[in-house]
Amino acid sequence: MATRAQPRQLYPAGSAGAEALATGGAASAEGPGRSGPLQDETLGVASVPSQWRGVQGIRRETKSCQTASIATAEAAAQTWKHVDAEVQTEAPVPVGVLPASQYDGPRLAAFLRRVEAMVIRELNKNWQSHAFDGFEVNWTEQQPTVTCLHTLGYPPAQGQGLHVTSVSWNTTGSVVACAYGRLDDGDWSTLKSFVCAWNLDRRGLNPQQPSAVVEVPSAVMCLAFHPTQPSHVAGGLYSGEVLVWDMSHPEDPLLWRTGLTDDTHTDPVYQVVWLPEPRHSHRFQVLSAATDGKVLLWQGLGAGQLQLTDGFALVVQQLPRNTKLRKPPRGETEVGATAVAFSSFDPSLFVLGTEGGFPLKCSLAAEEAALTRRPSSVPLRAPAQLIFSPHGGPIYSVSCSPFHRNLFLSAGTDGHIHLYSMLQAQPLASLQLSHKYLFAVRWSPVRPLVFAAASGEGDVQLFDLQKSSQKPTVSIKQTQNESPVYCLEFNHQQTQLLAAGDAEGTVKVWQLSTEFTEQGPRETEDLEQLAAEVAT
Amino acid sequence: MELLDRLEMAEVEETLKRLQSQKRVQVIMVVNTEGIPIKSTMDNPTTTQYANLMHNFILKAWSTVREIDPQNDLTFLQIRSKKNEIMIAPDKNYFLIVIQDPTE
Repeated sequence: MATRAQPRQLYPAGSAGAEALATGGAASAEGPGRSGPLQDETLGVASVPSQWRGVQGIRRETKSCQTASIATAEAAAQTWKHVDAEVQTEAPVPVGVLPASQYDGPRLAAFLRRVEAMVIRELNKNWQSHAFDGFEVNWTEQQPTVTCLHTLGYPPAQGQGLHVTSVSWNTTGSVVACAYGRLDDGDWSTLKSFVCAWNLDRRGLNPQQPSAVVEVPSAVMCLAFHPTQPSHVAGGLYSGEVLVWDMSHPEDPLLWRTGLTDDTHTDPVYQVVWLPEPRHSHRFQVLSAATDGKVLLWQGLGAGQLQLTDGFALVVQQLPRNTKLRKPPRGETEVGATAVAFSSFDPSLFVLGTEGGFPLKCSLAAEEAALTRRPSSVPLRAPAQLIFSPHGGPIYSVSCSPFHRNLFLSAGTDGHIHLYSMLQAQPLASLQLSHKYLFAVRWSPVRPLVFAAASGEGDVQLFDLQKSSQKPTVSIKQTQNESPVYCLEFNHQQTQLLAAGDAEGTVKVWQLSTEFTEQGPRETEDLEQLAAEVAT
Repeated sequence: MELLDRLEMAEVEETLKRLQSQKRVQVIMVVNTEGIPIKSTMDNPTTTQYANLMHNFILKAWSTVREIDPQNDLTFLQIRSKKNEIMIAPDKNYFLIVIQDPTE
């Protein structure tokens, strides 16, 4: 089409064909009035090849991929041989002392001759020297004050208004358990209560959420952890039953129970203690003391039943007559036991605190049969050997000194603490700590002259007999509204910890300052001196 | 020979008694170089425990002194603790251990 418009430019001049073509083209372009034959002519298309653009074709390639087939193989392993082996430590054989005839007499004599003078000189220099006066070395970080490490509580129990009646540390010192109940109810209650345990060494300890909780059908009055099993705990109930739980099985914690048989206590059990069995000293039995005057020994049988193996009954007529009681108990002939403490030096000797306010020195080996009215499956004996001068009210707690075989403390509702020696009926010392009741007293496991007492005014009082025998060294305020502190226990493994439970339902773990945890140089001797003030 | 032995033993006993009567002495012990107690004023199990513990300590002190200066020798060792003081006189064959309470 483009060629018709400019014929002269395309075709070179002088080419006849081109002229004809050009004329014909021009003629037909003039319109209908052309003289040439009316024919349609189609002219060839002239194309101009592009000089810069190449033909773009579509290129195609075929590729495929396929995962290789998965190779599988089967192989089995099975132990088919095993060997049993046992390991047992043997008691170490002590190296014997050489018998006299075997050592070389002359050489020993010569040696002693040589060194004697020098040693005597050094010994004399030593006791005369003032070089180390006032020189003290501190190996542990000093804690100057008493601080509260944890405040533990169980909200459902606190919501019911339950008190913490007893606390106990387990054998490893890392778990503290508390028993909930009420200490001021006078009647039988169907109150459901709890035993809660917190593992203080666990990270992420939630003070309001115990690591183990056991629901108990009746109020729990006392608690004691097993001496070697870290998770077994025995508790005495308001109904007179004694139960043993395993806190490591939260779904089914109850191990043994006494049930309500003829043998069980008929009054609240105020204290339970674990004792080694007489023949198998690695197995333990439970001793329970209740206000019905009976002190009973139980052993766990396989069927979950606690069986009575031995027992004692306190009867007024059988009390020793060495001290004249100011107010002998009248009416009932039973003497209610409210506290038990065993001597750490003589395992068969124990002290009972009674409702009448007089401590009794008793022995597990007593032979005399008790005059009880109610029969029991095991014959009961009268354990009392010595009666001590009474307090002005019932005794709630006794504690035997771990450092001296004759000393023990008792605390009662008259607000006084009496320090007794087993050798005489009159107390060695009588300290008034509170104007209200005193609920618990415990000797410190590390310092021979220190003890702690829980008062009805909401304080935990720490006494250091070396510093002052009249007033407490430290008085820790546990409750803000003066509600009583009912129980306290020292931790025997981590000796700077003291747990105390109060009427608000909280257990506070106190960290004691270093002055209460490190023994001074002459404390045992000072304690001996105190005990020796026995009036002859 | 018997008589001589008896005389020597009597002398040993006398010397130990003299040492025991010094002011505030609590314990006297003689052990040999292997740590086996030979004479002691305490009961057997405690004596063996002390002897075993002291023995390693004495050897360590002796070797420390010799290592610092091979010409030097350990002549006396004293350990002072909060409650008492332990004094050790060493020798080629025996060690004499005396425990004293020096506080007022």
